[in-house]
Amino acid sequence: MTQAQFILSSVLLLALLLQAIFPSFRVLVVCAGAGIACLAATKLGVANTSRILAEVPWDVLIILVTLGLVSQLLAASRLFDRLALVATRVSGADPHRLTIVFAIAMYVVSGVVNNLTALVLVLPVLHVLLRLGGTNQRYVSWTLGVLLVACNLGGAATPIGDFPAILLLGRGSMTFGDYLANAAPATLVALAALLVVTAFVVRPARGMPRDPISAGIARAVMTALHRRISLDRRIFVPAAASLLLMIAAWLFLPSSLGIGPELICWLGASLALLLNRRLGEKLTRNGLEAEAVLFLLSLFVMVGAVRDTGLFELIARGLESLPISGAGQLFVFLLLAGVLTGLFSAGPSMAALLEVAASLAKRLPPSAVYVGLALSVCAGSSLFLTAATSGPLAQALTERADIRDADGRPLRFGFFDFLPTGLLGFAIIEATAIGYAAWVLSRVR
Amino acid sequence: MTSLPRHLGQAFRMAAGELGMASAARLFVRELSQSGGDALVGEACDVLGREYPVLDFVAHRWIHGERESRLDPAPTVRALEGITRLLVVGLETDALDVFVSALPGVEIGLVAEPFGVEPDMRRVLANYHGVLQPVSLTEFRRWVGRRSALLTFVYGTDGHTAHVAATWLRVAGPDVRPQFRSLVGWDVLGEPMRLYPRWLVETNCNDFSALVGSIRRSTAAGPETHLPPS
Repeated sequence: MTQAQFILSSVLLLALLLQAIFPSFRVLVVCAGAGIACLAATKLGVANTSRILAEVPWDVLIILVTLGLVSQLLAASRLFDRLALVATRVSGADPHRLTIVFAIAMYVVSGVVNNLTALVLVLPVLHVLLRLGGTNQRYVSWTLGVLLVACNLGGAATPIGDFPAILLLGRGSMTFGDYLANAAPATLVALAALLVVTAFVVRPARGMPRDPISAGIARAVMTALHRRISLDRRIFVPAAASLLLMIAAWLFLPSSLGIGPELICWLGASLALLLNRRLGEKLTRNGLEAEAVLFLLSLFVMVGAVRDTGLFELIARGLESLPISGAGQLFVFLLLAGVLTGLFSAGPSMAALLEVAASLAKRLPPSAVYVGLALSVCAGSSLFLTAATSGPLAQALTERADIRDADGRPLRFGFFDFLPTGLLGFAIIEATAIGYAAWVLSRVR
Repeated sequence: MTSLPRHLGQAFRMAAGELGMASAARLFVRELSQSGGDALVGEACDVLGREYPVLDFVAHRWIHGERESRLDPAPTVRALEGITRLLVVGLETDALDVFVSALPGVEIGLVAEPFGVEPDMRRVLANYHGVLQPVSLTEFRRWVGRRSALLTFVYGTDGHTAHVAATWLRVAGPDVRPQFRSLVGWDVLGEPMRLYPRWLVETNCNDFSALVGSIRRSTAAGPETHLPPS
């Protein structure tokens, strides 16, 4: 390892460690880290700042920002309020069904909008039901935990659901259709396995009596809370139509036209916002997810500086030189990706590991590598509460909701409350990732 | 041994935070009656009454035959005739639902006090399709004017004092009163509560320029309109 490789990878690792240890300062930490990486790269003669910035995948950031704006339009249409009411009716506000129904609802919602938006839309509704129906610590821990894992799975199911998949789409690693056709069934299998184990082995509502009075009151209150909320068609129709047009373009526009997914996103989101002029202008001015953009931009800068030292090629060559088969190397890589994501969170891991994945994809089927990687990153995101940005948000929202048990004791949703669900989710999703990769490899042979 | 769920009080507090105490009480009493008849409503009175006196009041009236309470907005609308801006202090969704549509062309703001847990104002306001605007305590002075009025919900009055949400005292101080054309209290219970009015504060009836009670009850004896002194 050269001096430049050592120094720049140390800057990256230190920034990742610090942002994991101090999540409330994560944006500041990675921003400072990016500045230091640029300085070090310039002084060590690796690359100057202009070159590092030119290598940033701006197309990915554009997809992230524009999809975020479309998500906000859909949220403003009250679509998700209606869905929350439907989920309440389907579950009957019965604790035994609530966990399953809301996990499925979360999976669907987070496949369409980004994970944070999905969480902000779905979690408060579940909090209301938990407070109305009565609950205990075990039930809260498992139900919210399963909801978070389902949120991660939904995000990995579609190319527009979460950052790792957006990165694959934006960088042209996989087409929209290929990713959807491969990742959606795999995530569905993982979700089904998670829900079966939860419902029949864990049984979060074990010991909680079926209480028709509470269930009836919970249903009535939920109906009253949403009594006059209706789908705003003036917002929903243009937004949904624009999204459908974007999906059609991603699926069917020939690549020979040179119109990439980022341009489709840009034009589609502009159309949706223009068709809702006032709200569109307001969202464009105030609705940009500056925090996410700044965080990812800083990560890309740090990863770019390390890439310019040739370290990722070195790691890829090291992986290739392992005395095991290509399939074995892929499995080691996927397992490593899951654990690293658990420690450093999805954005940094995906940005760094994609460089190594690109090398593996030259020798192995790309779908096995990339979808396997997306699933492994999803597994890692589900391992610890701090591994994905949705975890701390869920923790904060739950604290604010002040949920209590029947004796009035406050119920928590912290790191250790989530851990059993996290370990189960990690095991199931990582096994699905490796199983999926093995299945693709077996079909090629 | 009660057949009521042990967490019912917490559930009521949550519902009251976003629907209003009287609106939530009516809903709970209706649901309890469906599940276990008057006996269960009576149990709720006994177990939760002291903690939640508005629930106690509504449950007690229910047991005594007052099954449907329909709020009539007409007297309140008359008291607010001619205004262009209205600031509502407190939350009672049953009342607001029938009232907001009766004031076309009036700009309406809402200062909702957290009761128990902070209400999800986004959801509260979504039920009014943009007609109600959220107003914080720091910005309510923007609403003063010769054609502006303040309205709050009153939970029973004996003719001298009225029970209101604590926010009312913070909004309608002596320095603020002259800056609004009217200060209207809308009695959503129609009669004084039976128990100590926990969660509420007392105010002088003379502080209101109009105090209207507009519950029209259908009882076995027939419809009756109750208007407390104003």
